Amino acid sequence: MKEKRIILPLAVLAILLVGCGEPGASSTGGGSGGGYDPDDPTMKPDVIPAVFEKFEGELERNVEIKVLENGNADKVGYSEELFDAFNEAYKEYGITAVDANIGEYNDLAQMGPYGTGPDVIYQANDIIMGYVDDKLVTPLPTYYMPDYSKIPATAWKAYESAATGERYTFGIPINVQTGLLYYRADLLPENWEAEWDDDKNGIPDMVENMNDLYRFSQIRHEANNDEYGLVFSLNDFYFSGSFLFTYGGYVFGNGDTDDTDIGLHKGDAAIGANIARTFAGVMSEECIDDSAKLAISGNMASGKYFASVTTPDNYEVIISALATEYEAERKGTAEECDALARENLLSVPFPDFPLSGDLEDDSEGFTSALTMGGINGFAISSYSKYPKASLAFINFAASYEMVCRRYEMLGIAPCREDAAEIAGELSKQLFDKVDEGAIYLMPSLSSLSQVWSPAGSFFGDLAEDNLIRPVAERKYDTIEKIQAGLETTSQNIYDAIHILGV
Amino acid sequence: MNSFLKRLKEFPGRAASWFRSLPGRSARFFRSLYERAADLFASFLNFFKSSNQNVRASLCLMGLGQLMYRQYGKGILYLAIEIGAVLFFSLVGFTWISGFFTLGTIAADPWTGQEGDNSVIMMLLGLFAFVILILFLVLYVSNVKDARKSQLMVLEGKKLPTFRDELKDLLDKKFYKSVLFVPILGVSVFSVLPIVFMILIAFTNYGPDHIPPNLVDWTGFESFETIFSATNIGSTFAKILGWNLLWAVASTLVNYLLGLLLALLLAKKVVKGKAFWRLFPILAYAIPGFITLTAFKFMFSMGGPINDIISDLGGTPIHFLGLDNTWGARFIGLMVNAWLTVPSTMLLATGILSNAPTDMYEAARIDGASSFRQFKDLTLPFVVFATTPTLITSFINNFNNFGVFYFLRGDIVPSEGYTAANDTDLLINWLYRLSIDNNYYSIGAAVSLLIFLITSIISLIVYVRSPAYRKEGTFR
Repeated sequence: MKEKRIILPLAVLAILLVGCGEPGASSTGGGSGGGYDPDDPTMKPDVIPAVFEKFEGELERNVEIKVLENGNADKVGYSEELFDAFNEAYKEYGITAVDANIGEYNDLAQMGPYGTGPDVIYQANDIIMGYVDDKLVTPLPTYYMPDYSKIPATAWKAYESAATGERYTFGIPINVQTGLLYYRADLLPENWEAEWDDDKNGIPDMVENMNDLYRFSQIRHEANNDEYGLVFSLNDFYFSGSFLFTYGGYVFGNGDTDDTDIGLHKGDAAIGANIARTFAGVMSEECIDDSAKLAISGNMASGKYFASVTTPDNYEVIISALATEYEAERKGTAEECDALARENLLSVPFPDFPLSGDLEDDSEGFTSALTMGGINGFAISSYSKYPKASLAFINFAASYEMVCRRYEMLGIAPCREDAAEIAGELSKQLFDKVDEGAIYLMPSLSSLSQVWSPAGSFFGDLAEDNLIRPVAERKYDTIEKIQAGLETTSQNIYDAIHILGV
Repeated sequence: MNSFLKRLKEFPGRAASWFRSLPGRSARFFRSLYERAADLFASFLNFFKSSNQNVRASLCLMGLGQLMYRQYGKGILYLAIEIGAVLFFSLVGFTWISGFFTLGTIAADPWTGQEGDNSVIMMLLGLFAFVILILFLVLYVSNVKDARKSQLMVLEGKKLPTFRDELKDLLDKKFYKSVLFVPILGVSVFSVLPIVFMILIAFTNYGPDHIPPNLVDWTGFESFETIFSATNIGSTFAKILGWNLLWAVASTLVNYLLGLLLALLLAKKVVKGKAFWRLFPILAYAIPGFITLTAFKFMFSMGGPINDIISDLGGTPIHFLGLDNTWGARFIGLMVNAWLTVPSTMLLATGILSNAPTDMYEAARIDGASSFRQFKDLTLPFVVFATTPTLITSFINNFNNFGVFYFLRGDIVPSEGYTAANDTDLLINWLYRLSIDNNYYSIGAAVSLLIFLITSIISLIVYVRSPAYRKEGTFR
């Protein structure tokens, strides 16, 4: 109550002194005489909406803000570096950022309202946006974000919601995450440049399109029964969803804002699902459940898999396993083996899909895969007692220097255009994909949590159909049956979201 | 069998007769209710008439009668309780009780800092206020009874005990009251209140759209209607309940019989190094259950050692825990549960068997009874008699066995014809999916209330019909 009495006059004072803003951030708009305009969020409104009043006035002094950072960032020491840099920059205000010291996947709903949660959280957009319905994260005054224009509109869109009426932004995008194809360059055929590079672009065809990858997988497995081409856990919908999205399927209707319209079966999604089913036939049985995901590093290192699909945060784990394998094969010292592993383990975006919908017919050419991805970013808890200091922190963490440093230490693709420029070819490609809307960003609705298991179970069943199920018992041996299976899955998801509501 | 058929034939006639007698029985019930109320009122009037002014004073103001009897310590204590209660209810108690009925009218808005009502906290506080009210009423009645007791003692010419005497009594004759007070308070706060709270949640719409800061409302029996309605939820509940009952019975029997057989085997004189052999099941028991379950999940996974062996032998790998393998997965669950539980049953049976009356076995052998006959007529009744309460506990534990299928098959949902569940889920797994994964707290609470009713009814029936209850003194 005492705080309220102090903040309110400050807010009034701040409204009078338009443009003062909070230290460390510069207002990019001058006010248009109207209210907040979600279509031009960089413009500071003359009349500050009630939800943004807490960001007005002077920065809090001598306070401690608790930050829930990413587990990997903690592990490699990035979090500590970020906190140190911020604490130094805001020394004169006595603001310190500290590790919230809680698990990465703690539920804000269980802590926020009771004052025990973090002030700032770093999470994927689906997690952060899942908190919006219950108002656990607060709308952000984007006009106090000096680098707003450096981040693509599609990335900001992942953090926008109008679920409670007005359209607001709830997070600041930091980096993009999506599934990539990791492959072993040293397992390529010796003559790949002559035989497997039709377009002579120096990139093997089998990592460029699904048809060649399928053909290569067949050849590799026929040559040695214990070796495979591409293998990944098809029951992980985060990765297998691309089979549907590329051919017109979607998660929620109306641009992923309407969870009464489940669209896994829409468009030609069944054709994409059929490709997954066909491809499963040349994968190891481990693709049916989590086995491929859990054993990815060992199987990539041993050469059992030529390629697999995973997120960049697994890169170091696979490198470590591969370097150990090389050491066992006496290919050099530890450093040499590590360097060799980095040279041989390469990553590319998910291969293109055939327009014909047939893995053995590339006459119609290819289309880029639409892979599911997420935008990781920072958000502020609605229950934070220090919203201005928290805002200063997320602006600091999203600055050019810190995003570049995050990339250097964690190897993840930045969402900022200027940082992506210097972050390497793959990061640039991912940034461009986000910018062009060529990554299917995880829907920002809390009901997304009802999608993973049913959709994953369907893909597991689909893989099982072509791998181990006796011919007479097959459930998905025609496109019509696959379509029916997808429709049932969509219905199951709808039921889980809506039918139980009392 | 004949008696069953006979009773089945008689059933329609009995049912018709029961319905015919319903109006008469209802009238008798209400008449007896009226008579009891009238008796109660008459006895109160009688009590009031026969009470002296001191007792009546205690009726008006707690402790006043005691003060008039010069029992100052006790009188002041009762008076303080009444003052405390009046203060509590006038300051917050009535607001809390009123909040219990409304569950709040203003929704909080954490975005603007607007403070509002938290329905769940209001429900808890209301519940707490009711507990205080009940406690106050109990103390009020005890205050009147105490004054009446003093009146009777004075009439009989006895000396009234001092406050110190009564405190001494609490450490002597009434020591049980002093000792039981803290446990009863603990059970009330930590067991009874949460159960009542859970029951109340079942009658609200506490769910994804109604989580604080949004307001929660009372919705009566809607959660139960949803469960029992003709939608998929009703059929899912029925299917899971059927499987749950089968699972509880089968797993209890398997664990019990295997544990007993193992104990009997290791009790045989011919077995050398008993302690060594008993070590292995104990090791399995000592490893935390979730580690064992995760290991079993890996063993039965597509990339696990069992499928590796099958592939090496030229066979086709089997998706043991897959969507299609309902009964296979259920059987695996049964066996994995036996792996986890049989050691504890074995230890229990070993302890009980060491106290088996050897003279009875001696007599049986002299009479020429076979080993199987001795097991059937001596060992089994003896062990069952001693372990019936454990069997009931084991049944309830198995009925509510969350871990086995959560770890083995938790990632598969839904099975065909099920909503938010797969075909190996038990009610407790479904409850978890509904309330934790999906935030359907009210439906979850309704399901848990039904689980509570089912397990209590079955446990009571089994216990009351068991030899442990009917022939309590047999083995004493």
